[in-house]
Parts: sequence; C-alpha cells; structure tokens
Amino acid sequence: MLTPRPHGGHLRPWTALGALLLCAALAGCSRRGGCTGEYCGTLVFASVGEPEGLLPPVAQSSVARDVSDQMFLKLADLGPSANTIGDEDFTPLLAERWEWDDPLTLVFHLDPRARWQDGRRVSAADVVFTYDAYNDPRVNSPFRTGLRWISAVTSRDSLTAVFRFRQRYPEMFYDAVYQMRILPGHLLRNIPRDQWQSTAFGRAPVGDGPYRFAAWKAGESLELVADSTCFLGRPHIRRLIWRFTPDLQVAVTQMVAGEADAVPQLVSPDNIERVQGTPHLATYPYKGSAYGYVGFNLNAPGDSTKPHPLFADREVRRALAMAIDRQRLAKSVFGDHAKVPPGPMSQLWWIWDPETRELPYDTAQAKRLLTARGWFDSDSDGVRDRAGTKFSFRLLVPTTSAVRRQYARLLQEELRRLGVEVLIDEVEFSVFMERANAGRFDALIQVWNTDPTPSSGISQTWTQSGIGRSNYLRYASPAFDRLVEQASASFDRAQARRTWRAAIEVLNQDAPAVFLFAPENVAAIHRRVADVTIRPDSWWALLRTWRIPPDRFIDRDRVER
Amino acid sequence: MNARAAFALLGAVLLALFVVGEVRRRAGPSAAGRRFFRHPPAAWGMFILTFFVAVALAAPWVAPYGPSITLEIVALKNQPPSLLHPLGTDLYSRDVWSRLVYGSRVSLSIGALAMLVAVTVGAVVGAVAGYVRRWVDTALMRLVDVGLAVPRIFLLLMAIALWEHLPLALLVLLIGLTGWFGTSRLVRAEVLTLRERDFVAAARAAGAGGPRIIFRHVLPNVAAPIIVSAALGIGNVMLLEAGLSFLGLGVPPPMPSWGNMIADGAAQLATAPWTTVFPGVAIALVVMALNAVGDALRDAFDPRRATA
Amino acid sequence: MAAWLVRRVAASGAIVFAVVTFTFLLLHLAPGEPFLPSGDTPVDPAVVTELRRQFGLDAPLPVQYAKYLVALAHGRLGESFALHRPVAAALADAIPNTLALAGAALALDLLLGLALGVYQAAHARRLPDVGLGYATLFLNSVPTFWLGLLLLLVFAEWLGWFPVGGVVDPVVHASLPWAGRAADRLWHLALPALTLGCVGAAGTARYQRAAVLEVVGQDYVRTARAKGLPERRVLLVHTLRNALLPLVTLFGLSFPFLLTGAVLVESVFAWPGMGKLAADAIFRRDYPIVLAAAIAASVMVVLGNLLADVLYAVADPRIRVHDQ
Repeated sequence: MLTPRPHGGHLRPWTALGALLLCAALAGCSRRGGCTGEYCGTLVFASVGEPEGLLPPVAQSSVARDVSDQMFLKLADLGPSANTIGDEDFTPLLAERWEWDDPLTLVFHLDPRARWQDGRRVSAADVVFTYDAYNDPRVNSPFRTGLRWISAVTSRDSLTAVFRFRQRYPEMFYDAVYQMRILPGHLLRNIPRDQWQSTAFGRAPVGDGPYRFAAWKAGESLELVADSTCFLGRPHIRRLIWRFTPDLQVAVTQMVAGEADAVPQLVSPDNIERVQGTPHLATYPYKGSAYGYVGFNLNAPGDSTKPHPLFADREVRRALAMAIDRQRLAKSVFGDHAKVPPGPMSQLWWIWDPETRELPYDTAQAKRLLTARGWFDSDSDGVRDRAGTKFSFRLLVPTTSAVRRQYARLLQEELRRLGVEVLIDEVEFSVFMERANAGRFDALIQVWNTDPTPSSGISQTWTQSGIGRSNYLRYASPAFDRLVEQASASFDRAQARRTWRAAIEVLNQDAPAVFLFAPENVAAIHRRVADVTIRPDSWWALLRTWRIPPDRFIDRDRVER
Repeated sequence: MNARAAFALLGAVLLALFVVGEVRRRAGPSAAGRRFFRHPPAAWGMFILTFFVAVALAAPWVAPYGPSITLEIVALKNQPPSLLHPLGTDLYSRDVWSRLVYGSRVSLSIGALAMLVAVTVGAVVGAVAGYVRRWVDTALMRLVDVGLAVPRIFLLLMAIALWEHLPLALLVLLIGLTGWFGTSRLVRAEVLTLRERDFVAAARAAGAGGPRIIFRHVLPNVAAPIIVSAALGIGNVMLLEAGLSFLGLGVPPPMPSWGNMIADGAAQLATAPWTTVFPGVAIALVVMALNAVGDALRDAFDPRRATA
Repeated sequence: MAAWLVRRVAASGAIVFAVVTFTFLLLHLAPGEPFLPSGDTPVDPAVVTELRRQFGLDAPLPVQYAKYLVALAHGRLGESFALHRPVAAALADAIPNTLALAGAALALDLLLGLALGVYQAAHARRLPDVGLGYATLFLNSVPTFWLGLLLLLVFAEWLGWFPVGGVVDPVVHASLPWAGRAADRLWHLALPALTLGCVGAAGTARYQRAAVLEVVGQDYVRTARAKGLPERRVLLVHTLRNALLPLVTLFGLSFPFLLTGAVLVESVFAWPGMGKLAADAIFRRDYPIVLAAAIAASVMVVLGNLLADVLYAVADPRIRVHDQ
C-alpha cells in the first residue's frame, strides 16, 4: 500500500501567472463610460435558426426576413390596421406618394432623400431592376407567384416608377408593394442571376434601410449597426445582434439569464410562465399569423385516383370533427394563448367572424353517425370496424414541432374514446414534407404561417388550384371555389366578409379538416426597451422607432463598436 | 400511487434482496465468487438490476396507471410529485412513475436485444477472422476498421433515415448492427492465442472441421470477455437510445422509453424538471449497475488481473 | 518501419473512400426531399424542381456519384443546399469549434482522470477512494446530454456562473483586448468541455486506478522503494510510465466518442461544431455537407488511430516487431 505523499509546494509561479492573466482580462472587461445619450443601446435577439442568406428575393426563412427587413425597404408598408384592400391604409416608405393614372396603372413617386448605404440615390431604375429580378426564373424566388398580376414595371424618370396590372382586383396595391424589397441595381447588375442563391452579397449586403450590415459569424451571431443618415430618421437603438440558438428552449434560457433581450414567439405556456416569472422581462401579446388543423386525405395514400377508404365518406369526417373537444385541447396545449378558429384562418385575418357556423362538439351524435355509416365495434376490441376492416389510421406529424406532437397524442386519446384507433407517425421534417406533398398519408397535422391577406393563403391551400401545391388533402369543392373567387374580387369589405363567411361555412360542413388552433403570439422583450410596437405580420418592422432611455442602460448598451 | 402498487413495489425490492442473498450464498465461497464480491458496488449493482428487471416484469401491478393514459389534460399537466403521483405528471398529463415502469420494459429489452445482436455478430466475425486468418481475416478487419471510423450515432442517423416508418424491431436490429465492431476485435485477439493451444490441435487431430472447432471448442472459452463486454455494452445501448430519442428518432409514441421521456421533458426542464430528471436517474442507475457488475465479472473471470 | 507506415496510410485512405461511398449510397436511398423550406409557408413546386436541376439531382445516381468523385479529386466539396454557401467554408467555420471542444474535453479527461486515478490508487480502499469510486461510476453512466442539460440549468441559469451556450459573447467580444477575448472563449468553453470531460475523466480514472494498482505491486517498484527513493518519485517516474502506454491508445480511440457525444452536447449548448452541422444536414438532407462531414470524421478517426499506433510503436519497441 502506498504511503501518503508529503505536500510539496512549488505552486507560486502558477498562481502568479494566473493572477496576471485575470487582471489583464478584467482590465479589458470592465470598461465604463462608452456610449451615452439617446442613440445608444444594444438589442440582442435570441433566434431559433440562422438565416440562409440576406438577399431578399431568396431569403425565405423568418429569421432571414427579420434581418434583411432592417436593411432593405419596400415602397410602402402595411399600416397598423393591417388592411390589405385598397391603398389608403398603407404607410409610405421608399415611395413618398402614389396615384392611379387609370384603374390598371399605379404610379409611385420615390422619396428623393432615400440613399443606398454606399451613398448612391435610390432611383426608379432600382425598382424596375427589382421587379425584373424577382420575376426571373433563374433567381427562382419563392415570392414570384405574388407578382403574377403585374404585367410590367417601368420608370418614367429617375424618381417615378410605373406599375401596370393585367386586371383590376381589390389587392393590387398590396401585391405591388408587400413582397418586393427594393434592391440596389448598381451593385447586383453584374452578378449572374443563377448565382444569387449563394452570392457573397447575400452574406454582406448593402441596403437602404435604417440599419447597416456589420458582421456575421457563421453559426454564432449576426450584427447590424444603425445608419445615422437614414432618411426615415436615425434609429435610437445603435446595435442589433442576433444570437443563433438551436431551439426555443435555449433561446428562452438565454433571455432569462440576461444574455438576450428579445424573442418574437414564446409558443408554449411554460415559456410564457418562465418569462413572466423573470423581473427584467416583459411580455407583449399580439395577434398570431398562424393556424393549425388536422387534415384528412380524401384520396387513397399514394394513389390520387382512388378515394380514401375511410375519409372519402363525408359523414365519417363530420363525425370525427364533432368528436374532438377543440377548446379543451387548445387550453391544454396553449393555455389561454390560443383560440379555436372558425375556419382556416389565423387571428390576424380580418375575415375572422365568430358567428360562422361550425360543427358542434357533440360526441353522442358523432357516435351515432359512425354507427349509422356501418362502423361499430363488432368484436369488442375497443375499435370500431366494418366488413372486417378496423377504423384505424395513421396520423403524420414532424418531429420538429412540439405543438403538433402534443396535439397528435391528445387527438389519439380523444378518438380512442370514440372507438377509433390512431397510430402516430412521427417522422423527420424532410420526410414529412415529402409525404405531405406526395399524398402518402392518412391524416396529418399541418400549421400554416399566413400572409396578412386570406386571398392567397386560402386559395393555395383549399381550392382546386392548390391541388399539387399546398392542397395536400386534395379537397375540391366547386361551390367553395366559386365563393372564394367572389370574395377575393369584392371591393366592398363588408360584402367580402359576408362572402368569405359563406365560403368558410361550406368548408366546415364538408369537414376535410378540423381547425384546431390559431395561437396568439407572445413576444418577450427586456423591460428597459421603451416605445415597443409589434406589427403582427412582421414582428420587428417598427424596430427603428423603439428606444432605450439612457437612465435604463445596462452594460451592453454602453459598449461602442 | 395506490396500495396495490406500493405492495408490488415492496415485493420487487424484497425479491431483489433475496436474489442477491442467494447468489452470495451459493457462488460467494468459490474463488471467482470471492473476487466478484470483493467490490462493494458489485452487490449493489446486482440488486439494482434485479430490482429493475422485477419491476419491468411486474409492470401492470407496480404501475397504478397505464403508460399512455392521459388524465385530466388541463388540470393535471406538469404537476410536481405528490402522494397520488409520486414522481409527478408530464406534459400530456400522464403519471411519470407509471411511464417509468413501463419504460423500463422498453429500455431494458432494447438494451438486451440490441446487445445480443451485437455480441453474436461480433463473436462470430471475430472468431472466424481469428481462426481462419489469411485473407478472410484481413478483409473482415478492414470492414471493422471502416465500421469504427464512422461515429456510431451518424451511422445510425443515416441508417434510420432510410425508413420513413421504422418498426421498433428494426431499430433494435440497426443499433445492434452498428455496435459489434469492438467485440469482434476482442474475440479475434482471444482466438488468436487460443488456436495454438493443445485442445484445438487435439480436436483437429480427431478430424473436426473448422466451423465445428470454432463453435464447439474455441468460442466457449472466449465466453468470459464476451460476457463482460456484453454487460458494459447494454449500458452503451441504453445511453445511445436516449441520445437518439433526444434527436427525435427512437421509440415511437405513445410507447414510453426512458430516452423519449427525457426528450419529451427537456423543453420543460426549468418549470417541470421531474419529467426529465427521473428517467435520467433511472438510466444512470441501471448503467451504473451494469458497469459495476461488468467490472466485477471481469475480475472474477480473470485471476491474473486481480487488483488490490 | 517506413514500409509499415506506407501500408497503414494506404489502408487509411481506402477506409475513407469506403466511408464516402457508403454514405453517398445511404443518403440517396433515404426518403426525404432536400429543398423544401420551413414547411409552414406554401411552396411553389416549380421552385423545387428548378433547384433540383440546378444542383444536379435529376441525373441518374451513378452519374451523380462519378461527378462527385471528380469534383472531390479537384478539391471541390460542393455547395450546401440549405446554407447557400460553399461546403468548405461551412466546415472551416465548424471544425475549429469541434477541435476546441474535443481538445478541451480530452485535456480535462486525461488530466483529471489521471489525477483522480492516481489519488484513488494512493488511498486505495479507504474513504476517499470509495467515495470517488461511486462518483466516477455515476459520472460514467449518465447520458452526456442529460448531464449537460442539468449543468446548464444549475450553473448557467440558476447560479449565473457560466454563459448559456454560444462560443463567445457577441456583444463585447470584438472590443476586448486579446487576454479578454481568450478569457471569454474559455468561459464559454467551460460548461460543454466540463460535461464531456467529466464523463470521460470518470472512465479514465477508473481505468487508471486499476492500472496503477496493478503496476504498484510489481517487483521493480519494490526495488525502487527498497533503494530508498522518495515515495512521490517512485509513483510518478516508475508507475506512471508504464500506465501511460494504454493512455496513448485511449487518446486515439477517444476521438470517435467525442464526435458522437459531441453531437448531443453541441445541441444542448448551442456550440456550432461539426457534430451539430452534420446532424442538421442529415435531417435536412443537405447531401454535400453530410458527405463532407463523413469524410472529415473518418479522416480524423483514422489519423487518430494512426497516431496512437505510431506513438505506441515508438514508445514500446516490443510492438514494432509484431505487426503483420
């Protein structure tokens, strides 16, 4: 056995070195003074995921749009009322005013003070260039479909751009301004269009907005700095930093620990509870732009020529819809932060009409309906059957969405009480997308993040023109399609609302899907930030008007670049 | 927790104590048994393993609720441990203790079966390579090198990606098929030394063919290191299953496994830590037990390696 | 020696080639569409078709394989589908982070493990040994990511001693002096390295304890003690040198584990290393990155093995003769 060694003591050189390093480090860290006054402040966003690029036509993820929207401006933007019909409720940005030469011609007059961040004036030639780029199949922009009613964009002089439309419809102005962020023609003209997805400009862009690109460390963080010469007014908050986190859990933890200042969506009631229990954070609820549903495949899985053995029967679908207690499920998953939508709509849409007729929650009637259609439990195994086949189907959800997985398990239990067996297919996200697009599923839970207007969202997902695109269920109802077309073409908002309601009621009666939730978003922002306004369709759109009062500065606000 | 479950739990504890006591009584006096029980963790390990196996077998009695029963979905969500729910409830208002008990069935069987596959394939490959040698040996060992060169979890991620809908049996098979490389090297090393021994020469002289010699004479003598690596390997499989569940792959719902319980609870770690902590502790306990027993077995089988 | 080295290098190259081919096959056989975006905004199928054509995914599989090998021979790793940048750039950003984490974890593993093992052996079967024995047993048995989650909760969120994930502090890092920047990096590296390192250290400690105890009983140590050498010298010089050899093989073999365990720990701590890059790429079917990651991983592993073998052969002349 070994005897204990006596303590030797030659540690002093190490402690000295350690102390020296520590002092050097601390001397750098605790630098007081720094930035003072109204135009300081550093805001740190904890974002889930990283932008794939910052060039607007090819930047599709919400993080990429959050960042690039601070650097690139549109011609005009939605006002606080989020009204997309006509042009009265839009606020001018790059265009200081506009007028209609005739019902199909829209003329924009650009603000002469607008400048690119390299000094050049923003001109109508840039607008023409932008339209050309967004429309170019080689750029392959996902926003292209929104521009299909515009026939041409030309410039009358250096500050006047002219849009011509193919036909007259209520949302012409919205289509002209909402999707396109104006691009600097002089910097992008020489880059081959098919290289726009991966060009270096997308990783260090030059824009005309209130913020300028500063630095991007892949996988870690992205920094923007305020442009003091912006014609819209100098932004009060000097630096914006996005920290990339792998999931919402880490992002919220960073905020609670004081390392981040803002998260746009807290999603789960647990996160909201955590944030509300943290003294330095404030919550800002606002109308959500998403809705979720469980959809039934009307065709056989993988074979669109044959009807689905279970769900082609309208009464069966209606019975399932009546057996689900949507209010209780929403309460369990979201707490008080979601509503059950009357149809395929988010809280943001103006067509939300609580009077819309929906199928009631009535389990007794649901059971009667199923029995009437021949589905009853003949072999007492707890599952209904008919002619030897069990009423059993697979519910497809992606592993990446905790909300959908939760709903899947709750639905499984709800339907088990009805005598219906639900098997859950939790698959990887890319597999989910592939199967949804190919129709290889029985039922799925899908969530759509919508634009501010229903006319594109609903027709793409629920009408016949959406089959092969986003209409995974292959629902086709000529009556519904007619009503949707009528509603989208109506210039009178009150009348449009009534028509939309009629359309949704047709959809509800057919029950191709059960509309489960339309969440309210809750953003969490550090209490020291004042004048916070969040626009539901684009969270940080009004960031340039926020400020951090000097008496509420914390350490990171004083850091100069 | 109801009375029946409490009694069943007590029964499991007593059974485990009884088994350990019996083993100690019968195998203790032998030389190998003395070497085994010289390690205090070994006895604890046996107790824990027997206890969990008993609990897994007696799941319907020990668990007051079924594994997928969702109770009152609003009021009972994420409740802390109480008398009625000794380990609390989870996000879907299910009793954590019941899920832990049923999850032990899944996790332990995945561990055991996957290890069985791995050990069988590894032993056969190693024995064949070690006995036959020449080009067969080189080819098989190169394959083993390739297998060891790719990190196991990547191999599994890509393999699992091949199926849109992976049955549990196939998952177990895949885990087993990615884990035999180490065992094969071990067995090959042993066989290389054994094949020069007299009993092999005698068998060959008696006219026995290659496969017969491998399976009837050589492999039984390699049993000891195989058993030790199997004991340690089960622990690795359980940890791997937990990791796969954390990434979203693994045992499909609503079947509980300790791994997917941790994964489900990870998002609530700050507000409802019991949903993540208890399954993790369960895994740690079982793997600890396996490690302790494995180490003790290694000493028991090999007198030359006896340590202080 | 030289001939042996050449043969080993050639074999290593063949292994890497086999890994690449195997990965390529698996990837393209797997279901899943690489070009679908977030999934909650409607997608235009024409956009997806065009992207597939741009990246050459509409060609038959052998053609794609051949094209990939040719590009690889020219040193071109391709462009990532999801990140929209060259694969080489993405790897160049990720690999240093993984090496930093793996290096720190290994250093912690070896130093702490060695220290603990020797200490335990010095106090064998007394209270410190027994207590540490259970502690190392526990640490060696927990799921690493679970430990990471708990450490993050306790030390970063509740106590605030360490930052919540990330590599550096994005707010102040650029404006710190070099010492401050180094300190910032170390401070962020601490928790993830501790998570990985402690688990490894526990295993090493157990192994070293056994190895030291085995060696201590041998004759040459008794001779050294009989000669009157001080106890510390006996321990350090004579026992450690022999116990060090298996440590070398442990070094070479730890690399695969660190890459494996690292995927989960990188996710928990938001550490942008190769593990996370590759795992995300597998989920998003980002083929070029997965292939490049497979190449990088297998190269690192065979190099680690090669290094371990060379060190072993150099350190112990008996081994050199035996290799076949």
